Amino acid sequence: MSTDRSIVPGLETAALRSEPFYRRHLPLIARVGVPVVISLLVGAVVLAASGFNPLSIYSMLGREAFGSLDRIDATLAATTPLIFTALAAAFAYRAGIFTVGVEGSFAFGGLSAAVVGTQVGGLPPVLAVSACLAAGLLAGALVALVPALLRAVWGVDEVVTTLMLNFIVSGVSGWLVQSYFLAEGQANSATGYVASAAELAPLNPPNQTNGGLLIALALVVVYAIWVKKSTLGFQFAMVGSAPRFAVAQGLRVRLVIITALVGAGAIGGIGGASHTLGIVHRYSEGFSATFGFTGIAIALLARFNPVGVVVGAILFGALNSAGSTVQLFVNIPIQLIDILQGTVMILAVAQFAVPRLLRNRRKRRGATVEPADIPQAAEKKLGDTE
Amino acid sequence: MIDNLINAALVFAVPLVLAALGGAVQRRSGVVNIGLEGQMLIGALFGAILSGLTGNWLAGAAAGALAGALVGWLMTAVITRLSANPIIVGLGLNIVVFGLVGYVLRTVFEVSGTLRIPGLQKLPELTIPGIADVPFLGAVLSGKDPLFWLAVVLVPVLAWTFRNTSWGIRLRASGASPASTTSLGIRTNSVRDSAGIVAGALAGLGGVALSLGAVGLFNENMTAGRGYVALAAFYFGRSHPLPTALACLLFGFFDALQIRLQTGGGVSADLIQTIPYIAVVLVLAVTGFRRSRRSSRVAV
Repeated sequence: MSTDRSIVPGLETAALRSEPFYRRHLPLIARVGVPVVISLLVGAVVLAASGFNPLSIYSMLGREAFGSLDRIDATLAATTPLIFTALAAAFAYRAGIFTVGVEGSFAFGGLSAAVVGTQVGGLPPVLAVSACLAAGLLAGALVALVPALLRAVWGVDEVVTTLMLNFIVSGVSGWLVQSYFLAEGQANSATGYVASAAELAPLNPPNQTNGGLLIALALVVVYAIWVKKSTLGFQFAMVGSAPRFAVAQGLRVRLVIITALVGAGAIGGIGGASHTLGIVHRYSEGFSATFGFTGIAIALLARFNPVGVVVGAILFGALNSAGSTVQLFVNIPIQLIDILQGTVMILAVAQFAVPRLLRNRRKRRGATVEPADIPQAAEKKLGDTE
Repeated sequence: MIDNLINAALVFAVPLVLAALGGAVQRRSGVVNIGLEGQMLIGALFGAILSGLTGNWLAGAAAGALAGALVGWLMTAVITRLSANPIIVGLGLNIVVFGLVGYVLRTVFEVSGTLRIPGLQKLPELTIPGIADVPFLGAVLSGKDPLFWLAVVLVPVLAWTFRNTSWGIRLRASGASPASTTSLGIRTNSVRDSAGIVAGALAGLGGVALSLGAVGLFNENMTAGRGYVALAAFYFGRSHPLPTALACLLFGFFDALQIRLQTGGGVSADLIQTIPYIAVVLVLAVTGFRRSRRSSRVAV
């Protein structure tokens, strides 16, 4: 990894800071804007090819996402799980740890919360909810523990192990539900519903947005402060941007690696628990609608920035909530949303010529390079997996 | 009964072997292909459509391979030319392909999920006279489709190609050390792109084996994670053709066993499905352990 690449947005030099606002943020805006615009174009082509007017569909999507208080509420409900998963991804990537296992942590956290939630009917709500969230946290962290130890102790590449863990978790969860937690009289394999004491109450009944959003936002604030103020946050940045140097400096690299992976798992687990308690109230097959993977796309688009995580989650949440209602009015398959999301995900990690030119120009002027992304570090690592 | 199990294991292994060999080729060139799943799905769809239009399985197989190759090339080009992270691009590709296929099924063909094409020709089953009735050999060799034999032939052919052709050597060099390969005047990116095309074509054929194989229809969920099992297989086989194919055979056997157990009861099918993935984690752990014993450097 070349040393002039900092993955951490907060570490640009003063030279960069003194530039005017628009120039300082131009690469960031381009980085976020280009994937989104191209994806919308791809979607427009698909829509036009199948005989729909892209503009009217997109304006309908916009209306369905933000058109009324009820729709905004639905969008925020769809945003909530994505804030958790994106935050989890951002947390680990900051230390250069490239986990794709948040999906598994989310699902296992959700299952644990559902199991605990069915047992805590006698407790006061605060305790019941806390118990479920704690179960989710522990379960999510547990999923991440194996890849974390393998990575920290033997240097086993975490990308593949976390990806594999997702499938293992999905199988184990299915087995657990089938064998131990199956609700009686259910056709598909699902747990029973959680006790009403353990439900996260809607903020504006009968709409769906619930206390989970507040938990998510609180975590974002904690993350933002942690990034700027804490020693460990600084160590994450050090290990992420220059791992060998961090070792040479005597930083506790192993601790950072384990914390990054297990922490991401824990955040994902809380997210799954909040999804159980706030929205679905039970665990069933297909619990996570690839929230973990969408979270990766958001974290990369946002460049691990806390505000960016929230904005990106709202963007993808809007797509999800609008997509599911638009198909009720016009005969548009909801798969359109998958096309848009996947394209954003691919393009979010692609480096286009424009930012590259800007970077070169800046290099010639002697300032630092803009934050390059972690994928390269991960790619480098993938090279010596074997 | 044992014959049935062997036959089923081999049939299940064919799509896995084709896709995993593709993944192994690309892994050797230095790119991990997570998009095998999507490439298989595209191959399965185009194979079914073209076989239906022409009434000829060969045209279907060619179309599936071409479609897979195109998607594989696009995916690899994003990785090599726009220096994007292969994992994310692969995951994104699978989401896009799944979305596109579902969208096209619903708007163009106006079906939800399953596409039955009238006039579709399935892969022919090649019965070998004389061997078909021999107890064990018959189950292994007879009644298999052409893609089974392609998979069998590909294993030694690929191993030979890696070792003896200039393309194979450039491919391995690009994977082992892109910097020094580039310094020798080899276009690493082009080599990787070609590997991506081969991988896509093979994954597409794997999809064809699904849609034109036993059932003879297309379903949007028909790959059902096989692309990821193929990924597990080439990791397990460390991208060498024979071990990769054997891993697929093993996973195909578990698949067949699981279906048998589902009807017979006993061990949970959900747990058996996790075996390929657990195997990969174990292999990576052992590899990492050995490497850490050898090197004195701090593992970071």
